[in-house]
Amino acid sequence: MDRLWAWDRPALVREVLEDLQRDRKIAYTTVMTVMENLHRKGILSRERHGRAYRYTPERTREEHTAAMMEEVLATSADRSATLMHFVQNIDRSELAALGALLDEIRDPKKTKQGR
Amino acid sequence: MAPALVLGAYALLVATVGAHVLRRSQWPERAPRLGILAWQALSSSVLASVVLAGLSLALPVWSHDVQLARLLDTCVALLRDQYAAPGGAMAASAGIGIAALVAGRLAYCLGRTAWVVTSGRSAQRSRLALLARRDPERDVLILEHDACAAYCVPGRGGRVVITTATLEALDDAQLAAVLHHERAHLRGRHHLVIQLSSALRAAFPFVPAFAWGEAEVERLTEMMADDAAVQHADGLTLATALVRLAGGAAPAGALGAGGQTALARVRRLATPARPLGKIRRLATLACVAAVALVPIALTVGPALSAMSADYCPITFPV
Repeated sequence: MDRLWAWDRPALVREVLEDLQRDRKIAYTTVMTVMENLHRKGILSRERHGRAYRYTPERTREEHTAAMMEEVLATSADRSATLMHFVQNIDRSELAALGALLDEIRDPKKTKQGR
Repeated sequence: MAPALVLGAYALLVATVGAHVLRRSQWPERAPRLGILAWQALSSSVLASVVLAGLSLALPVWSHDVQLARLLDTCVALLRDQYAAPGGAMAASAGIGIAALVAGRLAYCLGRTAWVVTSGRSAQRSRLALLARRDPERDVLILEHDACAAYCVPGRGGRVVITTATLEALDDAQLAAVLHHERAHLRGRHHLVIQLSSALRAAFPFVPAFAWGEAEVERLTEMMADDAAVQHADGLTLATALVRLAGGAAPAGALGAGGQTALARVRRLATPARPLGKIRRLATLACVAAVALVPIALTVGPALSAMSADYCPITFPV
């Protein structure tokens, strides 16, 4: 996927294979299978190019990530522990209270003077 | 019928007064692990009481009560007498029905919760494989995104994930503290405890004690992870990271229930409470064990008292 996103143009399995082979040993069938799976999952679209296919990512990396993060952040309030967030989404008033509390902890004298 | 009534009353008492008292107590924050155990004991006690109440109504019509009577060296009539309920067979059926319903509902919700979270995590992992890059030095997955987030995906092959916005919002020390916190969740398998309390609330939503338990358990697991992180990092650093990340996330509006927990955590990190003394810890543990075992005692008590009787009621055939 890194290659496909970087090139930003339709690519043949062979082109992806050749680029990957610069880093490590990998078989044509492996790359072909993975790309076919990604196509089945809707992550890649493809068009015929002679006897082979050319694959293009359906969405950019940013769009994908944004979509995923939307779901992840929505689960922040979900308590079933699919994911465990470091801190949950909190609304503005509570955020203000949190900030005030931290200021007070850091510098109690300063805060008292300000009153 | 007495055991069933007593068990029912006990379940009600624990689910209302007991849960209310535990919820208001301050000590769980000083011993989060023990606090979680207390909530688990409370919940299991309530459920066990209901199930055992149902089963005890069925004892008088149980076909093996003769063997049980022989085992306890008492007579069947006396044993039955202890557990007899007006309505006999009907009461027994109702009892078995309730016991089966409660146990079945719990089993179903446990299974369903497990399935939902497992498939959710699996989907997360495959998307992360696609979208995130791994930072080998910090052993964390990084997503390119302009909203702050830091979370872990528990379960098989646990992963800690942060966004590039988080990297920018925190300095090295703060980030390290956050990562320690998340890894503590993974090491301690806290997700299991949360799944359990979540399944309980889903199974019996009309029992406030289970909803309270779910919220408290979540709060206490966060505090446990904070405690673990503080062993490697400064408490105030972690608190600052908490506030920075709480601010950086997309505003939740109605969803934001985390404010109270966040405030409690920051207070706790800033002024750590003295941990619970050894004696108090043991006393609490004893109470927790007692609460969990009372339902069993209430169920077998009448049978045991039948053992000690040295007479047998004689009924003449009419």
